[in-house]
Amino acid sequence: MDVGPQLIALADPTRRTIYDLIRQESSSVRELTDRLPISQPAVSQHLRILSSARLVAATPQGTRRIYSPHPEGVALLRTWIDTLWDDVLDSFEQQASFEQQAVKEPKQ
Amino acid sequence: MRLSPTVITPIHKTRTVGLEPATAFELFTTRMGSWWPLTTHSIAQEKAIGVRFEGRVGGRVVELTEDGTEHPWADVLAWDPPHRFLLAWHPSIDPDAASMLDVRFISIESGTRVEIEHHGWEEFGSAEGASLRDQYDPGWEAVLSRLEAYPEWRAS
Repeated sequence: MDVGPQLIALADPTRRTIYDLIRQESSSVRELTDRLPISQPAVSQHLRILSSARLVAATPQGTRRIYSPHPEGVALLRTWIDTLWDDVLDSFEQQASFEQQAVKEPKQ
Repeated sequence: MRLSPTVITPIHKTRTVGLEPATAFELFTTRMGSWWPLTTHSIAQEKAIGVRFEGRVGGRVVELTEDGTEHPWADVLAWDPPHRFLLAWHPSIDPDAASMLDVRFISIESGTRVEIEHHGWEEFGSAEGASLRDQYDPGWEAVLSRLEAYPEWRAS
């Protein structure tokens, strides 16, 4: 599993701010630009990176595109940590099972 | 203050093993180095050779490496064998940015149910975390500082 795109997308403070604004309220590029000290092309560039990491998704509304939070990006991050613990617990379970067998069948 | 909805909810894991709680607890903690997948889930990876789990409140969990370097993973906050232990979990990161690993061992007919809860992704709740609260906003800053704990860890 590769969560590189999500970590990179969120590693930039401006993108985190944009992402948090979108999580508070779905917004257009224009609405986001009004609330930030950067240009509209800069906001669009950050939105492209957030979109490709599946942290936000755009829905056309008339002539505008409205950006909303996309659950997949965050779900990927959470699943990644979840899988790390699965790997660790698989190992624990395997060793426990091995020791249980050793107790059941003691060496002669 | 910015109100941020929950980003990463606590992670829960449960496993059942056919060992008595005392044995399961001892295997999980004192003998962690005998089963932990160190080659993939550690800081030094192939150079990691073991884990020292200091089983007492205030003890540490430390990754041992072949050149003698020790990498701290966690501090023991609660120690109640063979029922429960609680770690402030901070491999490769500032200990003040630790998340919480709460592990319980419940006696069942066939052995022991081990329950893990990994939580505290978004708060810098402790007094020790005060300096980090100034450094980071709540929410994502906190989550990311904790995700950085796993730069090399390879999930399957």
